Amino acid sequence: MIYIQLGLAALCPAIVSAAFYQSNKKAGFSKLPEKTKQAVYGLVFGLLAVLSTEFGSEIDGAVISARDAAPLCAGLIFGVPAGILAGFIGGIWRFLVAIWGEGAYTGIGASLTTLLAGSIGAALRKWLFDNKRPFWYYGLAAGSVVEVVNMLMVFLINMEDVHRAFELVEKCTLPMVALNAGAVTIAMLAVSALAGELKKSKGKTRYQLAQTFSRWLLFCVVLAFFVSSLFVYALQTRLAVNDAQNMLSLYIEDVRADINDASDENLLKLTRKIRDDLNEIGDYDKSVLLPLLEENNVSEINIIDENGIIIASTTPEFVGFDMSSGEQSNEFTALLHGEEELVQRYQPISHDSGVSMKYAGAVLDNGGFVQVGYDSGRFQADIDGQVVGLTRNRHVGEDGFMLIANEELRLVSDPSGHEGASLDVTGICLTANEDNSSSGKYGSEWQTLTQTVFGESCYVMYGVTEGYYIIGALPQSEVVFSRNMQLYTTVFIEIMVFAALFVLIYFLVKKLVVENIQKVNRSLEEITGGNLNVTVDVRGNEEFISLSDDINSTVHALKGYIAEAAARIDRELEFARTIQLSTLPCVFPPYPDRTDFDIHATMDTAKEVGGDFYDFYLLDENRLAFLIADVSGKGISAAMFMMKAKTLIKSLADKESDVSKILTRANEELCENNEAEMFVTCWIGILDLNTHTVHFANAGHNPPLVRHRDGKFEYFRTHPDFVLAGMEGVKYKSGELKLMPGDEIFLYTDGVTEAENAENELYGEARLKSALDRLEGASAKDICLGVKKDVDAFVGETPQFDDMTMLCIRLTQKYSITVDPREDTAVQTVASFVEETLAQADAPVKIVMKMNIAADEIYSNIRRYSGATKAQIDCAISGNSITLIFADNGFPYDPLNKEDPDTTLSADEREIGGLGIFMVKKTMDDVTYEYSEGMNRLTLKKSWEA
Amino acid sequence: MNIEKTAVGTALTVKVEGRLDTSTSPKLEEELKGGVDGIDDLVFDFEKLEYISSAGLRVLLSMQKIMNRQGKMRIKNVNETVMEIFEITGFSDILTIE
Repeated sequence: MIYIQLGLAALCPAIVSAAFYQSNKKAGFSKLPEKTKQAVYGLVFGLLAVLSTEFGSEIDGAVISARDAAPLCAGLIFGVPAGILAGFIGGIWRFLVAIWGEGAYTGIGASLTTLLAGSIGAALRKWLFDNKRPFWYYGLAAGSVVEVVNMLMVFLINMEDVHRAFELVEKCTLPMVALNAGAVTIAMLAVSALAGELKKSKGKTRYQLAQTFSRWLLFCVVLAFFVSSLFVYALQTRLAVNDAQNMLSLYIEDVRADINDASDENLLKLTRKIRDDLNEIGDYDKSVLLPLLEENNVSEINIIDENGIIIASTTPEFVGFDMSSGEQSNEFTALLHGEEELVQRYQPISHDSGVSMKYAGAVLDNGGFVQVGYDSGRFQADIDGQVVGLTRNRHVGEDGFMLIANEELRLVSDPSGHEGASLDVTGICLTANEDNSSSGKYGSEWQTLTQTVFGESCYVMYGVTEGYYIIGALPQSEVVFSRNMQLYTTVFIEIMVFAALFVLIYFLVKKLVVENIQKVNRSLEEITGGNLNVTVDVRGNEEFISLSDDINSTVHALKGYIAEAAARIDRELEFARTIQLSTLPCVFPPYPDRTDFDIHATMDTAKEVGGDFYDFYLLDENRLAFLIADVSGKGISAAMFMMKAKTLIKSLADKESDVSKILTRANEELCENNEAEMFVTCWIGILDLNTHTVHFANAGHNPPLVRHRDGKFEYFRTHPDFVLAGMEGVKYKSGELKLMPGDEIFLYTDGVTEAENAENELYGEARLKSALDRLEGASAKDICLGVKKDVDAFVGETPQFDDMTMLCIRLTQKYSITVDPREDTAVQTVASFVEETLAQADAPVKIVMKMNIAADEIYSNIRRYSGATKAQIDCAISGNSITLIFADNGFPYDPLNKEDPDTTLSADEREIGGLGIFMVKKTMDDVTYEYSEGMNRLTLKKSWEA
Repeated sequence: MNIEKTAVGTALTVKVEGRLDTSTSPKLEEELKGGVDGIDDLVFDFEKLEYISSAGLRVLLSMQKIMNRQGKMRIKNVNETVMEIFEITGFSDILTIE
């Protein structure tokens, strides 16, 4: 019944632990704050400890229970606060139980132990296992150690009665250790099983250094403990038996000495009397000796002369025996050399070894000596009185005793009053008989035998003297008790020492090695993660200092190499970028003599080389091809692909005037061997400068913005075709866009609309449109720069990763008039035309005046000198610049060749004439002349600050 | 272009208004030709003159040459544009500009 009860108590911590572990996976409980959870664990396990105390079984004043298991489980499995709380509750309860009288003897020790159990569990978890649940075998070890502490406590607290304390400890130790350690182990195994840790994982499990180390350390410590315990056991057993032997032999010696003394004294007394009688009689005749023999009741009287020869004897055959001829008899010759008296042990005689005698001798007055002998019968009858009861009150140890038996193995002296009875009543057997001849349970003198004496197993030893057997017996239990006490205390202390040693070594290794390695590892992880600015700084000891320094210098060197490599790559990219940019038209204005359109393009490369490009070229006098494109991806590969695409499109555009065919063919060629799977988006247009019509094709590119004269910019959205180099066989369509002089078209790549600011907002199409609208009236160059400025303001310091490319074309607003110079009214017509045109362009008055003067000068020259019948004046206004072109069909004449007048002459010396063209040259920014197709063409240019 | 002549004794003030260019200069030349006989102090008031072209300069130069012989010639209230022309052409050194 008790065992079932105890077994159930041992299972309780496992059941509770498993329940908690499972409920921790459930949403309800696991959501509680950790403090609350710890309190719940502590309370429940404390309660479990209380229940264990209540349902324990009392043995000789000690409560055997699994009380310590619960706090240990709480500490080891669930956490530090839980363990301490549970230990506290269990300990207090056990203390109260002791006060109320039950199990009082072990009360304080047991309650302290329970208190400690929780704290030990908590401390181990905190400092040894990094606040993690340890493996089950640590539970086993901790449970055992805690119970050993419990037992030592019992010893410590009951020092005044060590025997009683030890008896209790001997009884409790095994059940308590088994119960508590078992309970903790089962609980931890249960939780491990639930956590799935017990399943053999496939492949080799990788243990942490600390784990491996602690396992081996635990193994070594346990092994060392068992080896040393076995050694102590053997040693203590041997020592205890030796002590028992020594004690027995000492006691036997004492008794023997007593018997010897008694018998020696007795024989000497008789010998002295016989000697005195003989000295008085002075004759050694048989008639003298025999009466003496009778009278003194001895066995033998021998007279020996000065030569050591028996000259007379009560035993006639001895006469003539030389005393020096036998070892036993020779001892007596000492009487011929000065000794007065001599007494010998009872022993076989020299004359006949089959006969044992005890002799004594005394020197006779007439020389020689008399020797008196006892045979055993006479001798024992003589001293029995003295021997009887000699050992009756003697004790060996606590419960051991002494016996004396005579030659017939009848008891002569015995503490329990069996004198006269055969030795068999005691159970001791000294000589071989049918029962023991085979078992070897008899032995010779002084040998330690193990025999059952009066029903108790005893160590038995005997000695023989004067025909008596002196027997000592010591109960084995007495010997084992002292040995066990030694053994238990030693083993307990060993357990404590080894446990402390384990904890200390493990803790030190963890602190000095494992934690430092972990620190180094953490730093290395950061470094591997790319943060080369991390330094390893573990300065615990010499080895780690040097390791840290080595790693730091390696990282430093690495940093240098990386920086160098990065710089080299940067340089390469810079070259690539330069080459890339050099392939794009970069001289602006590209066609300075073209007044009918204004074109500008910019490309702002991101740090990485990108794949944007733009291009434009006049296919002939009246057709301008222009395109913008964006190669997918970045870096050298994109740049190289861009070069290929650009060259290809240009060469195709030279041969082909249909944009859709240009793209279709470019796509075919780019698709070939496009291993890198890159693609290009492209918007290409061919602008007819006569009709102002753009034929365009769009390969997946962003829609351009178009502004018609006097309007706002609008996205020109057409359904784009597939990207170039994306798929073979794509047929590209072309579209038509009608423009007028004064219209603008703005192309860009997604680097513009997808420029990102610090808030991760994109610049976007709406911002682009409003920026362009704000730039109304600006030249193509100013539009590009203005948009870039607006984007820059938007992104701020945020680095951009995409190229920003823009291309803007502005069709110049053109005004023209044709007059016949021969008509007089023409002068007025020209003047009004120039003035009105300029007024429309919002040119400043001063500029208007200057242009008026210039027009007046040039036209009057044509009219007066060229003989032309037709003159055409073109006025082109683009932003803040104006171009006036005078064309006439008169004689070829370059007015710029005319020598400038000397403006330093006095009025009288001055020639009139030549001043007009001189003034024009001086007031205009640029004046050029050419003669082509039968026409003189004089071009004047003037710009102003807005 | 308007021309307004005011004669006080031997002094003549000519106010020119508008533009003095190829089409208007012959008119000024006609107005002054013979009109300066006996005049020893010719004053051009250019306050309302917008601009002057080389044709206008020709008139001024020939008048200056005439006046060099019979008196003096001055020009008043020259605006910036006209002054710039005078400077470019070196007329600012020849003419007396007040």
